[in-house]
Amino acid sequence: MPETTDFLYPFIEGDETDSATLLEDLARSAEGKWRQSSRLRLATLDRSAAHLHATAAAMAGRFGAGGRLFTFGNGGSATDAEAVAHLYTQPPWGRALPARSLAEDQAVMTALGNDVGFDLVFSRQLIAHGRPHDIAMGFSTSGNSDNLMMAFAEARKQGMLTIGLAGYDGGRMAAEGTPVEQCLVVRSDSVHRIQESQAALNHALWAAVQEALA
Amino acid sequence: MADIAQVIGTEEPAAGPGGRPREAAGPGGRPREAAGPGGRPQEPGDEIAGVADDLARASLALARRFSAGATMWCASPNWPFHAHHVAVEFVHPVIMGKRALPAVTVPPAADMVASLRASVVPGDIVLVLADADDPRVVDTMRRGAAWGVETVWIGAGPRRPEPGSANHVIWLGTDAPLEASELFVRIYHLLWELTHVCFEHPGLMKPEPACTDEVCITCSDEGRPAEVVSVEGDEALVRTPDGHERIDVSLIDLPAPGDLVLIHAGFAITAS
Repeated sequence: MPETTDFLYPFIEGDETDSATLLEDLARSAEGKWRQSSRLRLATLDRSAAHLHATAAAMAGRFGAGGRLFTFGNGGSATDAEAVAHLYTQPPWGRALPARSLAEDQAVMTALGNDVGFDLVFSRQLIAHGRPHDIAMGFSTSGNSDNLMMAFAEARKQGMLTIGLAGYDGGRMAAEGTPVEQCLVVRSDSVHRIQESQAALNHALWAAVQEALA
Repeated sequence: MADIAQVIGTEEPAAGPGGRPREAAGPGGRPREAAGPGGRPQEPGDEIAGVADDLARASLALARRFSAGATMWCASPNWPFHAHHVAVEFVHPVIMGKRALPAVTVPPAADMVASLRASVVPGDIVLVLADADDPRVVDTMRRGAAWGVETVWIGAGPRRPEPGSANHVIWLGTDAPLEASELFVRIYHLLWELTHVCFEHPGLMKPEPACTDEVCITCSDEGRPAEVVSVEGDEALVRTPDGHERIDVSLIDLPAPGDLVLIHAGFAITAS
């Protein structure tokens, strides 16, 4: 960087000392992203309303027949899977329903990851636990995770209801020939904003399941 | 700032049929209608007004602490998935090329105070997502000064943590649990995003002015917070941000291990 242009980059040398401007910028940036997330949330819920209710009706049918919900995902999506299992089993109101996140047991996850490969960590658990009335719900932002696609294929083979939450254009989870019967897609290309609207979809879907079972 | 969120959120819990909160009962999970101050309809996203500045300040503090080598300890006794999400966010960034930062989840089944007491070192960060009255969290946060850690408390509801109970309180006014849970995800996503923006300002990542032995009001003229490790007669071994010290406890009621005291010139002057 020639010295003559340093005035264009006042903080390039790391001598910035007053944080007031940065704090103001951060607060404005937070506000912009927050409102963007709010708009995406509303648009997603609006666009998905009919799909959500069809999915909820199918889920209520499975629960009514004694089915259980298995949730799965990787990374932040694994925590979404955990949050959903928590919501169904320990709801703020309504009926507690059987649900479990497949990523939560570290002994099982590491055993399968180490012995048979990470692509199979969820599908192998469904082989062990799955029954025809159960529900498999997978979370991905790309819609492309191999271990999710393997789990959905196994779930379908067993006659389980398969539900996917994805972002971007839905990826493989929403593509032709997918084993995902109900794929709810958040149309965004930001992983964070996708997960934020997926949380809203999870809550709306759960509420609709409760309504359907009431 | 936070008062705005509280005003918006102090609406009575709106119960639908069967005592259900209206929040989650609408078709498609549409948010309940809410009126802002002055009866103005609330715009989607208005909650940010109450937390934007707090988020900004907490992000800068996190970036400074990480720059100085901090580990961030994340805990959420009632919602362990939120703590896991925060930790994975910082350790394994969704944006390629961003620094992996040391963040850890406190195991949900662990005794929070005991686990953190054993693990944290001065300069670390303790970030908690919890209600204001969670006794485990209250007991953890009050030790932050003695442990020398930066504390961040994220939560929601009409009741906020007592003033001064954490270095950073990021609080939403809503008392609807599902709405709060959704907004928590936004809060920690933004905390991560803003923390990384701060790293682009290396001049601001230098530690804040450190205290010097001669002039520091915190060290010389006031009591310093400490946590009692063990007691023998009138003497106690205590933990402070500067390390372990032996102090005289004859001026106060005999403390027990784990008690917090204020120390001055080698004496415990008050139990806190």
